[in-house]
Amino acid sequence: MNRSLHPLVWWIWAGAMATAVAMTSSISIAIAVVGVTAIVVRNKAEVTPWAASFSWSLKMGLWVIAIRVLTGVLIGVPMPGRKILTLPIIPLPHWMAGIRIGGPVTLERLTSTAHDGIMIASIIALLGAAASLSSPHRLLRSMPVMVYEFGVSVVIATSILPQFVTSISRIKQAQRLRGHENTGLLSWRRIALPLFEETLSRSLDLAAAMDSRGYGFTRKRSKYRKDRWTSKDYLLCGIAVASLVKPEFLVLVAAVSTLAVAP
Amino acid sequence: MIKFSNVSLIYPNSQQTVIEDLSFTVSEGELVLVMGATGIGKSSVLRLINGLVPHHTGGILAGDISVNGISTHSVKPGGLAHLIGIVGQNPLHGFVTDTVEEELAFGMETLNMPSDLMRKRVEEILDLLSLAPLRNRTIATLSGGEQQRVAIGSALVMHPKVLVLDEPTSALDPIAAEEVLSILHRLVHDLGLTVIISEHKLERVIQFADRIIHIQGDGHTRIGTPQEIFADSDLAPPIIHLARAMQLSEIPLTVRDMRRMTKAKRMELVDDSALAPIENPKTEPLVNLKHVTITYGKKNAISDISLSISSGEIVAVMGRNGAGKSSLLRTIVGASRVDKGEVLVAQRNPFLLQGRERTELIGYIPQEPSDLLYRQSVADECSQADQDNHVVAGTTLTLLHKLVPGISSHTHPRDLSEGQRLGLALCVVLSGSPQILVLDEPTRGLDYSAKKTLVSLLREIAINQNRAVIVATHDVELVAEVATRVVFIAEGEIVADGSVAQVLLSSPAFAPQVAKVMSPSPWITINDVIEAMKRNQ
Repeated sequence: MNRSLHPLVWWIWAGAMATAVAMTSSISIAIAVVGVTAIVVRNKAEVTPWAASFSWSLKMGLWVIAIRVLTGVLIGVPMPGRKILTLPIIPLPHWMAGIRIGGPVTLERLTSTAHDGIMIASIIALLGAAASLSSPHRLLRSMPVMVYEFGVSVVIATSILPQFVTSISRIKQAQRLRGHENTGLLSWRRIALPLFEETLSRSLDLAAAMDSRGYGFTRKRSKYRKDRWTSKDYLLCGIAVASLVKPEFLVLVAAVSTLAVAP
Repeated sequence: MIKFSNVSLIYPNSQQTVIEDLSFTVSEGELVLVMGATGIGKSSVLRLINGLVPHHTGGILAGDISVNGISTHSVKPGGLAHLIGIVGQNPLHGFVTDTVEEELAFGMETLNMPSDLMRKRVEEILDLLSLAPLRNRTIATLSGGEQQRVAIGSALVMHPKVLVLDEPTSALDPIAAEEVLSILHRLVHDLGLTVIISEHKLERVIQFADRIIHIQGDGHTRIGTPQEIFADSDLAPPIIHLARAMQLSEIPLTVRDMRRMTKAKRMELVDDSALAPIENPKTEPLVNLKHVTITYGKKNAISDISLSISSGEIVAVMGRNGAGKSSLLRTIVGASRVDKGEVLVAQRNPFLLQGRERTELIGYIPQEPSDLLYRQSVADECSQADQDNHVVAGTTLTLLHKLVPGISSHTHPRDLSEGQRLGLALCVVLSGSPQILVLDEPTRGLDYSAKKTLVSLLREIAINQNRAVIVATHDVELVAEVATRVVFIAEGEIVADGSVAQVLLSSPAFAPQVAKVMSPSPWITINDVIEAMKRNQ
């Protein structure tokens, strides 16, 4: 965690950058910005359970592109242009007029859906970067008290999640050592049962611990340490927001200067 | 401070009362130890104090419990948070936030304390428990002892009058356990804190206890000073058994007492050094590690370890928390890939073994034995094991009844006590008749009688059936009883490898109680002493 940064900074930064990228509507700029962001994450993210969010968001982005292209090509209004191949048209009932599944696939259709997909994926990647770079726990603490109650449950969920992953691999391994190979549906049942039981007992333990520490006993709660804005926070947000003025020229500059500014 | 009046407790869907008509009072500044066999209701008694039982678990509670004049009937656990700090069996399960400082502040935040007061108290606790260097660390990366200290700190920061701890040292190595207990001792003496503690490893705590509550099962309990309880209790640490064997009239609670009482007797017992030196086994080694290195990230979990183990040996792997014991075991059983070097078990690479080939060569009991179990009942689990290991139906169940008598075959594995669950996992693994048996921390949560059963089982496997047993453990008393050889690991390297007496006696922290008492004679178990006395007569 970058302790010196306000937990909101990366989120503002990612929001502004994502908007700027969307405004340029240029694939090359989007890919370049995501590339630079990847370097930022690589250099700045610390070893935390949520540091993997960025790579997850990249994977999710790839899925988005794939799904967007697939649905774009299969379903929808035909787009005139160079024909690459023709898929068989699936007949639909007459009340679904105007919608078509299959049919000719044009190069224009393919590029335009791929373009959309990449833009969405890069926005997801930028937000994923923000999630990797700032602690969700600290972020929640800077939220108003109203959201806090909800927030605490999110914090607990996020702290249990990495535990969940290690439990799965531990149980899987133990089962393998009992001579079971982990393939197929049956092995899933073998893992799910102990995992479920462990998770349940852990959450009961946690609930008991929170209860005995007075959680939920008073409606008001105080904050141990308030996060303050520093000049560096303003600078980072400023860079990202400024790129909105003329995104075509500035967004990449903003991304690169982030590398220099971020502590 | 704490008053139980005629308390009885029964859980829903259960025919047996956990506690029957229990009455006692604990006054301010006392340290009270709750002891009893596994699964007998120690945790229930502890959790009754702040009302987690029955508010959180259900069950019917008769009688009244009051803490500082407040009855737990009328107040929920949260309402006692300022009065009672409770530290659960596994502190890691109870942490809410991710860094040390925030964890300490969590309880105070929920009680809406002003932030300057919180800052002051957090600093106080950081100093009191020597946590200051760890203040910004992520809790998950701390060692077991450090985590336990954070858990105690986050309870103490609320300035409670009562601190309740459920087996605070059972997962810790002897040195970390000593750290935690000496802090508790100081808190009782300096701050007048009332402490209620439960623990299986009695040898670690009895010297600190003012009084003991002994839960005997069937609803019976005994309360008294350590001297009163240990006058005739079967459940007793080695030092008491040693005193009985030596027919002392007084009851010693510390090694110092015992040495003072036995000064004359020890002089009589000449050290005839009749301990047979370990013979180097002539058989081909069963397990062979050559220059093995395993790295996690940048850190070496194991660096350049060479080790060979033959059949008939019981090897104890010891070392502090995080020294690499589990990594070594996992390498031997083929759970982790080796980065450098070579591991051979019966001339084969354990990482590649599968199915039946694996189960007849290696049996592995992980730290959580329940990881192995997934069926709905004990009987199902056993027949699954029969099927997997191609043995006659019923073999596993018969083995289980021999090892753990009185276990109901319809019980769900989750509902077994810790010792019974370990027994079941052991039987499942043993029904494959593996050449080597590997156990990771088997005694966590086991009482003395369960440990005794384990000791005789391991002996049977190693000596009578001529197989190899490898145990990673913190439990020096178990090692003294059962092991034929000790491998001591620090920072992923073997620092000592030799006979039990050689290794254990050379480290004061890891020496068993008997050895501390009888030093400089090289006896490490009560039996050694009894034999020596016989020879002397």
